[in-house]
Amino acid sequence: MPVFGWYAETLVRYVIVAVAIVVVMLLTYRGLRAAGVRREAATGFALIIPWFLGFLIWNLFPVVASLYLSLTDYNILQAPNIVGLANYQQLAEDAQFWASLRLTMAYSAITVPLGLILSLFAATLLNQGVRGVGLWRTLYYLPAILPAFVTALLWRLMLLPTRTGLVNSATEPVWSLFGDTPPRWFLDPGTVLWGFVIMSFWGVFGANTVIMLAGLKNIPKDLYEAADVDGAGLRAKFRHITVPQLTPTLFYLLVMGIIAGIQVFDQGLFVRVPRENFLNVYLYQQGFTFFHMGYASAIAWVMLVIILVLTLAVFRSSSAWVYYEGEVKR
Amino acid sequence: MSAPSITVEAGRRGLKSSPGPLRRLVAKAPVYLFLTFGAVFALVPFIWMVSTALKTPGQLFRFPPEWIPNPVAWSNFGEAWNALPFGAMVLNSVFVTTLAMIGELASAAVVAYGFARFHFRFRNVFFLLMLSSMMLPWVVTLIPGFLIWKQFGLINTFDPLTVGALFAWGPFYVFLLRQFFLGVSKDIEEAAVVDGANAMQVLWFVMLPLVRPVLLAVAVLSFQGNWNNFKGALIYLQEPLTRFTLPLGLQFFQASISNEAPRWHLMMAMSLLMVIPVVILFFLAQRQFIEGIQLGGVKG
Repeated sequence: MPVFGWYAETLVRYVIVAVAIVVVMLLTYRGLRAAGVRREAATGFALIIPWFLGFLIWNLFPVVASLYLSLTDYNILQAPNIVGLANYQQLAEDAQFWASLRLTMAYSAITVPLGLILSLFAATLLNQGVRGVGLWRTLYYLPAILPAFVTALLWRLMLLPTRTGLVNSATEPVWSLFGDTPPRWFLDPGTVLWGFVIMSFWGVFGANTVIMLAGLKNIPKDLYEAADVDGAGLRAKFRHITVPQLTPTLFYLLVMGIIAGIQVFDQGLFVRVPRENFLNVYLYQQGFTFFHMGYASAIAWVMLVIILVLTLAVFRSSSAWVYYEGEVKR
Repeated sequence: MSAPSITVEAGRRGLKSSPGPLRRLVAKAPVYLFLTFGAVFALVPFIWMVSTALKTPGQLFRFPPEWIPNPVAWSNFGEAWNALPFGAMVLNSVFVTTLAMIGELASAAVVAYGFARFHFRFRNVFFLLMLSSMMLPWVVTLIPGFLIWKQFGLINTFDPLTVGALFAWGPFYVFLLRQFFLGVSKDIEEAAVVDGANAMQVLWFVMLPLVRPVLLAVAVLSFQGNWNNFKGALIYLQEPLTRFTLPLGLQFFQASISNEAPRWHLMMAMSLLMVIPVVILFFLAQRQFIEGIQLGGVKG
């Protein structure tokens, strides 16, 4: 079996790189010390060297390089020629690009807020002193341990059209009640989005619930007791204690949700859809099926700008709605 | 965390005229009803997955749906295993996951220790830079990253899936470990330093044992992440099939499913075989799993 040869080759290079990183760490330490830097500072900087090198090689350089590539017609075979903004102009007129972008944005706009509300609801229920919280928590979290692509396969099976899919066979009477036939989900361009939305709820709902439950358990109990003394009702307590106290968790989940939602990819590659797929899938096809690397880099930069703008907007708005206890953050 | 809530409840029960257990249960009926509804939504697809994995092709699309296939097609697992070079793929996945996990954990611990315990110029700038790199879309670095590996002639090797981990490629893990290093009292460390230990020795012998629970949580998340690493495999592994990892093997097989060849029973059997290690790990280290993901939302 030649496989073991491949393993050995990789293993050798892995060890060489590991040793090289340690050597760079030592040299950094020695160099800084020789330059008169304090022992503590030199040690600290030497320790973060693995990340620092990685940042330069795998983050900083690629970001700059992909901006450059987005201004070229690079196709792997020939050296890149600068074409200015031609890729971006082409994007503006690319109907497939706009359709993918629309699908991706609609997907995030639906799944992120709705997902947060649903998991807040579930977490609140779990926090009502129900019996066997641990068991419920496990049940709810279970779907989250499946990788996104297995979830995608499973829901592709669940949402097969007509009576072949479980969802449609179970809900057929409901549809026929309205004189309708069940949707064809991933076979119909009009319902593809909803298929992905259901899939996403199943996949992340439990994880978000579990995170929010931890946030709820962190709220000091005396706040509720004080409110009880003041005669506050359940709704008032929820609005004026639970939600404000939970905002840091909500903020974290919102930012992470937006970033993950817009970058959705695995699901798109495991489901065959009739028309447009997610933006990242389109990018992958452009870059690695057609080798339009310049064009794909332009799409990547559009995505970067979208994520930057959205996260900045959320961060900017956070001072208005996120409440930090005593505002002491390390 | 749970201890105070128990005392509060006990106190409250003492104050009010305690309602009988039955009445409390009735009052909470809607809560349980909703919870059950949610649990059914979470569980039914799982059951369907297992059920489908045990069907013969003829049983796949029966109406009304069959939950317990008759007869049970245990042979699907063997068939699924032979439909692809599954053994080689399992080995590849184990190899990639092990190396990536070790690299990821070791580098994250070292970097987190540096950020947590030592003052140096621009430390906070670097830390912020690291956190913000979490927001960088992976597609932005994808093509230049691919070109770097291509330059070294290492496309279609396991290097891009493993060697990169040595550079602390998981900022989230660094962040988590740093938060916990911050919570360790400095006195313990200083005692070791007085005894002449260097930074790496302090990290290995003093700090890491103290944060073992978090380390375990990070290890579990890292295992899951690397075992399920589909994107990396898709970009960097090309041929032959014996060089694929499990996620890429699944993607390859998935393309063969059509209306004419509805091999869903094999697809689900393969998926089950693939997720079993993570499921077992989940039940063994459930606390680490759940606490690991909770920490990000609370410790932040």
